[in-house]
Amino acid sequence: MQTGPEIRHSLCRMCDDRCGIDVHLEDGRIVDILGNKDHPWNRGRLCAKARAAVDMIYHPDRVLTPLKRTADGWEQIPLDQALDEIAGRLADVRDRYGARSIGVWKGEAIGFGQQETVARRFAHALGSPNYLSNDSMCYVGRYMGFTLVDGAWPIPDLENARCIVLWGANPPYAHPNMTQYITAARRKGATLVVVDPRMSAIARRADIHAQVRPGTDGALAWGLVRQFVEMDAYDKAFVEDHTIGFAKVVDYARTFTPEMVEAETGLPAATVKAMARMMADAAPRMAAYVGNGLEHHENGVGNIRAIAMIDGLLGALDHEGGTLFKEPAPLRDLTLYDEMPLRHLSPLGTDRFPVLYDMRQECHTMTAMEAILSDEPYPLRALVMTGANPASTNPNSPKVIEALRSLDLLVVRDLFMTETTAVADYVLPAASFLERTELHAHAKHQIVSLTDKVVSWPDVQGEYDFWHDLAVRLGIGEYFPWEDETALNRWLLEPTGLSLETLEAHREGVEYSPPRVGRRRQAGFDTPSGKVEFASAYLKDLGYDELPVYHRPAYRREPDAARPFVLMTGARKLLYLHSRFRNIPRFRTAIPGPEVEMHPDDAAALGVADGDTVRVTSPIGAVDLPVKVVAENEILPGNLQVTHGWREANVNLVTHDDRFDPVSGFPLMKSIEVSVQKV
Amino acid sequence: MRIVAVDPDACVACRDCEYACAFRQSGDFARSASHIRVNFYADERACVPLTCMHCEDAWCLAVCPAAAIDRDPGTGAVTIDATRCAGCKMCLLACPYGNIHFNAETGVSAKCDLCGGDPMCVRACISGALRYVDAEELADLRREVVDASLKRLLRLSKGVR
Repeated sequence: MQTGPEIRHSLCRMCDDRCGIDVHLEDGRIVDILGNKDHPWNRGRLCAKARAAVDMIYHPDRVLTPLKRTADGWEQIPLDQALDEIAGRLADVRDRYGARSIGVWKGEAIGFGQQETVARRFAHALGSPNYLSNDSMCYVGRYMGFTLVDGAWPIPDLENARCIVLWGANPPYAHPNMTQYITAARRKGATLVVVDPRMSAIARRADIHAQVRPGTDGALAWGLVRQFVEMDAYDKAFVEDHTIGFAKVVDYARTFTPEMVEAETGLPAATVKAMARMMADAAPRMAAYVGNGLEHHENGVGNIRAIAMIDGLLGALDHEGGTLFKEPAPLRDLTLYDEMPLRHLSPLGTDRFPVLYDMRQECHTMTAMEAILSDEPYPLRALVMTGANPASTNPNSPKVIEALRSLDLLVVRDLFMTETTAVADYVLPAASFLERTELHAHAKHQIVSLTDKVVSWPDVQGEYDFWHDLAVRLGIGEYFPWEDETALNRWLLEPTGLSLETLEAHREGVEYSPPRVGRRRQAGFDTPSGKVEFASAYLKDLGYDELPVYHRPAYRREPDAARPFVLMTGARKLLYLHSRFRNIPRFRTAIPGPEVEMHPDDAAALGVADGDTVRVTSPIGAVDLPVKVVAENEILPGNLQVTHGWREANVNLVTHDDRFDPVSGFPLMKSIEVSVQKV
Repeated sequence: MRIVAVDPDACVACRDCEYACAFRQSGDFARSASHIRVNFYADERACVPLTCMHCEDAWCLAVCPAAAIDRDPGTGAVTIDATRCAGCKMCLLACPYGNIHFNAETGVSAKCDLCGGDPMCVRACISGALRYVDAEELADLRREVVDASLKRLLRLSKGVR
């Protein structure tokens, strides 16, 4: 009998977009990955990262056996021995310092999903409130900003919009297939505004590229609010019925004239007016999306809240072509926050950033580093992390490395050796996204899907198996009663009424409930008041601004003559995700190494050309980088951009772990004052 | 027949198509190995993807003295038989669009063959600027782009309601 090549369907996790993929196998080995044409999100299209999962999975440098640090270097040990020893050392730390001295940490390097909730469950079962993750630097700032105003982070209905406004977001590189939806809207005549200090890939298609100074987006947002009021172009019925704080908004917005906005943001007053007209004309079919570019500032959440207000003012909330509120998948929750609240144990960072814990039950990773080094407010002596590389991706890397090195125990599970495994006591092999099966909900389409375990290795555990085996050894096995990840998936899925078998037959996903527009307008918004909160009593009670008051970035407020440049970090490149994929040779062919993007005028003033090395220095540290002179309209004079994650030139040597957004606790990584010298 | 339709108004010059094609041709991501090329002009913010249009009256095919260029009966693609190509480069001169490349290593010309009917550039196009469509549909797609541009212009000129 002749058999054709086997094709299995799953989801790509080379970034967090979860595109549908067809995995082609020959003799049990993955030979190709193509887009799944039946998947509603990507419709058969995939970016160049997806197929490289083949290279990643079979990479010669994969960690496939447990490693233990010894005086003579890394020693390969059996998995059972590794788990026994790790459990023994965790028990020692627990006995000596208490359970809260143990933290668990979720990263992104294996694509996260259930991984997060299993880790959260383990921490609480053990008695520690200290769950940490990359989310204290990405996503949560926006989640907070929007949730404070709207009660949720609504999803832009891009394909039905008449005007799309992207704030600090570059979908082609960060959420590649989102670009399809923008094209679909533009093909129906929609206008596109891109607010970004750089001409990003998507800004190349913008009708208006609003090239504002880093961190001044809030001034623009308030300027637009003022214009909508002046133009009498806001949705009076929506504002009346569904919002609180409008009078205060009108009063505060008054000073944000187009001329004042021009002075602060650098955007011409005429462009501010044109942008307001374009958005108001399209309303309520105005769909806005905010990217990570807004988060890494000392005024991030305030700016995001100001932007979020616009959706309400224009009546675009819960409206087709505006922003939509999706129902979450009714999956069971693995976390133990309700059954076993541990807030009284002072999760790290909660005192400084209470909203971070209130809204996300996240601890603050920068505070955790301080706690490790100082034993204040209490010792944090052991960390167990999967797919995280804070030694590269957290700000102030040298301090992170010093802190991690001083732990009693650091266990890192990952696919490869990283800057963080370099200071670990144990390195365990982690399962990539094609080596485990887990449930995923796509909120946009309200579908739930089950990823397929396509390949496996003898000593490589999935997330559930790892935490289960560790829990059993630590006497908390009762919290992990499921036999394996499939049994867990079955339990999680039960409330949906769908079976695992149905999901196995439809890897492109099955709708868990039909999307409905207008539900929030009917039932109220999920905020404390049930209204869209332009003014937040919750924040006021915590001592924050009630309104999203605009705070000027420090470099505008008190310019530092010794550090005249403003450095942005972390702009996504198409082929790399944070510190990942630098070891995929063909990615290196396309994007060979780090660089500092610089305006031609600045390059001329410094006397440097493409490829020359400059030293970029902040109060935190310095890093040497090759110069990339970009076109005059690709970056503003005086601004620089460096993408993170390069081992050979780590920009987190200069990012701040001592200056934060007061609400989210996000570090200052995108409007950093630096000096630049030719080396 | 179906061809790869390009829409510069949707292209963001992300280069996914170039990487996908280069990978198919060479197993690496060097843009020089790609049969589809995207030029980006920052000053004009212009993105120009160009790939073979598989002309009905293909000058490259007509001019080839080695009869190495032929039309694939299944896909209709104009293809080069590398074993017959003499490397004379006449096809490069004949193509009005610069869509045939010369591979100095192998000493033969190379061009898009529509990947046998499932073009990888289209599968990798995350903006939707590339579409693999029947030639008869091209006019509709073009009109769609023109209509959208007009709608945007009208909207921009209209001012506030």
